[in-house]
Parts: sequence; structure tokens; C-alpha cells
Amino acid sequence: MLDRRSFLATSSFALASLTSPALLRGARAAGADLVVGAPLPMSGAFAANGKFAALGAAFAAEEAGTVLGRKVVARDLDTEGKPATAARRVQEAMAEGARLFAGGILSSEALVMGKEVTNGGGVFFTTAGADEITGKECNRGTFRWSVPTHGAIAQTVRPLIERMPQAKRWYTITPQYVFGEGLLGAAKAVFQEKGIEHVGNSYHALAEKEFSGYLTNAIAAKPDVLLILSFGSQSSDTLRQAVSFGLKKRMTIVLAWASGLEQFEALGPDLCEGVYFGAQYWHGIDTPSNKAFVAKVRATRKFSPNYSFAGSYLMTKLLLDGAAKAGSAEGPAVTKALEGLTYAGLTGDEEIRAADHQVIKNYYLLKGKPKSQMADKDDFVEIVSSGKSFLSSEAAGCKMS
Amino acid sequence: MTYLFQILNGIGLGMLYFLLAVGLSIIFGLLQFVNFAHGAFYMLGAYLAYTMVERGVSFWLALPLAFLAVGALAALTEAVLLRRIYAQAHTFHILATVGLALAVQEIVIIVWGPIGANLAPPDSLSGVVILGDFIYPEYRLFVIALTALLAGGLWWLLEGTRLGAIVRAGSESPETMALLGYDTRRINTAVFGLGAGLAGLAGALAAPIRGVDPFMSVEALSVAFVVVVVGGMGSYAGALAAGLAVGIAQSLMATLWPEGARLMIYLGMAAVIVTMPRGLFGRA
Repeated sequence: MLDRRSFLATSSFALASLTSPALLRGARAAGADLVVGAPLPMSGAFAANGKFAALGAAFAAEEAGTVLGRKVVARDLDTEGKPATAARRVQEAMAEGARLFAGGILSSEALVMGKEVTNGGGVFFTTAGADEITGKECNRGTFRWSVPTHGAIAQTVRPLIERMPQAKRWYTITPQYVFGEGLLGAAKAVFQEKGIEHVGNSYHALAEKEFSGYLTNAIAAKPDVLLILSFGSQSSDTLRQAVSFGLKKRMTIVLAWASGLEQFEALGPDLCEGVYFGAQYWHGIDTPSNKAFVAKVRATRKFSPNYSFAGSYLMTKLLLDGAAKAGSAEGPAVTKALEGLTYAGLTGDEEIRAADHQVIKNYYLLKGKPKSQMADKDDFVEIVSSGKSFLSSEAAGCKMS
Repeated sequence: MTYLFQILNGIGLGMLYFLLAVGLSIIFGLLQFVNFAHGAFYMLGAYLAYTMVERGVSFWLALPLAFLAVGALAALTEAVLLRRIYAQAHTFHILATVGLALAVQEIVIIVWGPIGANLAPPDSLSGVVILGDFIYPEYRLFVIALTALLAGGLWWLLEGTRLGAIVRAGSESPETMALLGYDTRRINTAVFGLGAGLAGLAGALAAPIRGVDPFMSVEALSVAFVVVVVGGMGSYAGALAAGLAVGIAQSLMATLWPEGARLMIYLGMAAVIVTMPRGLFGRA
């Protein structure tokens, strides 16, 4: 007979195994390869982002082939989206000799991993969004490709306020962790500056999947604009449920930080139509580097690159370029090679600011197209505007240690 | 007024949770077997409904087909694999069903890809009901009505029919049933298929609300686990009461303490475990 105690014990173990399949995997032996660690959420709510990012890292490794006479290997490390697990994964990889890491989709895990990798003498490149990563919590070994929350809000909320001067009442739905707080803080600052009435905010937990309760709160506040500050599948779920509540017809809906193509594919064109999305990357960006990259990915992988894939690819490539330039894969040498580097990036000319290790690049405001206007199956959006908005390293609070 | 709508919303959530969890509870009641692949059957139901609708099958036909297909697949799995390990220790049950769940998840990724997809509600239910300042999707009202009907039908099946009596007797004393000449193996297979089929139907009904993705099974299993523990393992009434309680608590908390909405579900479960160790309707 299975009693309650046994049921709870065995159930907890089984649920942990399902949410963290890495527990069931054996350790892999280290070799003489040049390993680039890709610490990513390969399971859990953000696993779809993690799996594409892992493909992007592998693509960069394959493209590089050999660096410093060593075969390049991208190794994915499942962080489960949890800071403690993420820290453990990079510690294990460093014990096996890895020094270069590109990953950390969530800010909470990226902050922890940046410190761990730096303390271990490595380099960590991330796409995570919280301002702190290259702000108050900046450190010598951490770099960030994505535009942080301040710039994301500046390039989505500001142009929309100008386009819709009559929309004075904004409601926000925010994930309660460092990334969401960063977006919310930046949005509140813009609201105050522009005379916008912030009629309410609903926080939700990082594991939340059901948003109808928060949408009921939003409906009660009668906003002109619903600003969704969630990320990944959570922002998709919020948008899907908002549309089912008929909100697209009653207010403008904005996702400040969308994942781009992977998210639009999951939502489909009908849900995306008329919705505004802030994005770090879009495969339709008209730059020579991006056109070449998209053509190569389509030719070899048979799909258009999305944000997770492109970001991970570029970060891995930059780490390998840095190692080649430095003549070493050790952290301090690669860090020195990357600081101040300018290059033709996917979003145009990009620069790694030496003072805080923030890449200076464009952020995009996109708008969902009607299905009838899509040129091909991936042509979900048009680019409304783009630009570079960054706090200075001093204003961001970075004191490089 | 906001609270009233949150309660209505919570009933909608809770009825889906009930449908998801009742199969797990029935299977446990009869077989003393914790099926950790239950979430995988929920996911398969959602993906089958999505695929059928994408290929032009009516949503109304896709719902029963998802139930039947998942039920049949689960019955086959029970007959071929799970039946062989009932007599083994519970760790074997976990190993087999967790392995099955992971295999199904990877197969879904191979077949449908790692990115989720959206399933629109049928056109006839794509609108909203407007009551004063509040709005509620017609599809969610339909889900409440349908799951209430299914709950009634299931209660009648288990409590008011000969088949239900056999199932209940089988859960009390399988040895006696076997001595009386009943083929308990067929009963087990049928009940397992029914329970998993209900999870598949819950997945198909949930797909237009939350979309489909390869990781939805774990989320569903977590909720089903909470409902079964709170309601009492093996209890139909417990699954219904706990499903509604969890749904309403989750929805109300979105207004009262939004950041704690999910946490409250697990705190509530802990409170029930401490004060009522067998759950709300668990048997001694």
C-alpha cells in the first residue's frame, strides 16, 4: 500500500526528474577541445528559447571549426532557468577546464553565472536584460549583447507615446524578478516624464502560466494600452489570453521584450496582427552581416534564425574571435581582446563598450502584419522604428572591479 | 464585482484542473499506481486536437477524437508495459512512467518542434460576453459548461452503473473481484484508458486557452498532483472539490496578492497535508 508519505516522497523525486532531466544524465568527460559552455534553460518554461540558443552556439562552433589549434565544441549546460542550478553547472564546467561561456537567458541566472565565471577566471557573454548586469553588478568577466531594460523601454514606449498621443492610460503586467522590475522601473520613469497615467500593475510569479486573473484586473482599470513586460512563453500566454478576452479590440497591446520569430511562430499571424513588439533582433534587418548570416542559416539549417539562435551565435562567435585575437582562451586575455571591439554585427555597427562591457546596438519596435500582407511564412512583422538607447556606464552605476 | 469575476474565472480554471486530475485519482484508486506520464497524455490530447484542426477537422470532432485516441494509446501502453510492473516496488513505477513522459516529450519535439503553437477557439465561440465593465471569453464559459456535464456523467458512471460498481469494488479488493470471476486485468486497462483519455480531453480543451508546447506536460502534472493530494488520493469528489478550490484560490489571489498566486496553491497543499493528512475526501 502506498501511503501519503511515500506518495509525496516519490512524487517529488519524479517531478524533479521531469522538470530537470539533466539529473538523469551522466557527466561527460573533458577533452582537449576548446569548449564554449552554453548555460541555458533547456528544460522548464524557457526551454524553447534555450534549445534554439544551443543550436546557435553549435552553429558558431561549427563555423569556427578550429581556434588556437583546438577543435571548437559548444556544450549546452541545462540551467533549468534557476540561479542555483546555473551556478552549479558553470562551476562543474569550469572544473573540467571550460573558460568561455555564452548563455544565461534569464537575468536572475545570468547575474549569478557572471560572478561565478569571473571568479573562476573565465568570460561570460549573455543576452539577459536586467540593467544591473552591466550596471551596478558589472564585473570584469561579464559581457552583454542585448540592449538592457532601459533601452528596450526607451525604444518601445517612447515611440508609441509619440504615435498615440491620445493613449494616456497604461496598464502593466510584470514578472516579479530582476528583469521585470528593470522593465517596470524604466517604464514608470517614461510615464512620469511624458505625463502618462499608470493605472495599474499586476505582478506574476516566474512559473505562472495562467494570466486570466491578471487580465481581469487590467480590464477593471480600463487602460488605453496594455504593456506586457513578461518574457518568452509567459508573454505569449499573456497575449493569447488577452486576445481571447477581446482586449485587442479595446486597447493597444505592447510586448516590450519579445523573443521575435520563435514567438511569432508559436502565436500565429492572427494573434500577432496589430500588436506591437519590442525586439533585439529580427531576421529581416537590412544589414550586410545579417543578410549573409540569414542566407547561411537558411541554406544549412532550413529555417530563418530567431533571436535566441542569433544572439547565442553572435556571442559564441565574439568569444572565439576574442580568443583568436588574444592568442589564448583564458578569461583575462579574452576580456582584454573584447573590450572596445567594434565590428559589423547583425544589427549594424556594434561596439563592446570597454567601461561596462555592454554591446552598443539597435533595438527594434515591430508591429504584427495582417496574414494577407505576409510575403512568406516568416514575414510576421514590419519594423516600425529602431535606435540605440543606453545609459552611460556611470549612470548605469558600473564600477568595474 | 472584480472578485465575482475572479471566482467565475477560477471555476473555469478549476473545472479544467478537475478533468485533468480526476483520471490520475481514479487510476491511483484502482491500481495504487502513480502515473507520472499523466501530463504526457494531457499534452498528447492537446497536440492531437491542434493537428486535427490544422488539417481541417472540425474542433467539435477533434475533442472526442482526442479523448478516444489518447485513451486507446494509454490502454495499449498499460497492456504492453505498465501491467508488467504493478507488482514491483513504487520506484519501478516512477522509473517507467517518468521515462515514458520524457520519451513522449522528446517525440513531441521531434514531430512538432520545440516551439509551441496556437489553436484558435472555434469561430462560434471566439467572441466575448460583456457584463457591465467586465468581459469573459465565450470559449471559457463553454469549457465550464462542458466540464460540468462531464463531471456529472463521470459521477453517474462511477456511482450509478454496474461498471462503476465493479471499478469501485476492484479498488477495494482486487483479489475478491478476481475470485468472483471478474477479469481485473481488463478492468485495469479500461480504467487506465479512461483516466488518460480524460487527461487528453482536458489537454484538447485547454489548447485554445494556453496553446500547445512540448513542456506543458510538467506544468499539468504539477497541478494534477496538487489536486490529488488536496482532494484525497483516489477520490472523485475530492478531485472535484480540490480542482475548484485550487482554481478559485489561484484566480482570487491574482487580485488579492498577485505575486503570491502560484505560491498560495502550494501553501494550501501544505496546510491540507498538515491538518488533513488524507486530503479533503481521502479514505482511511
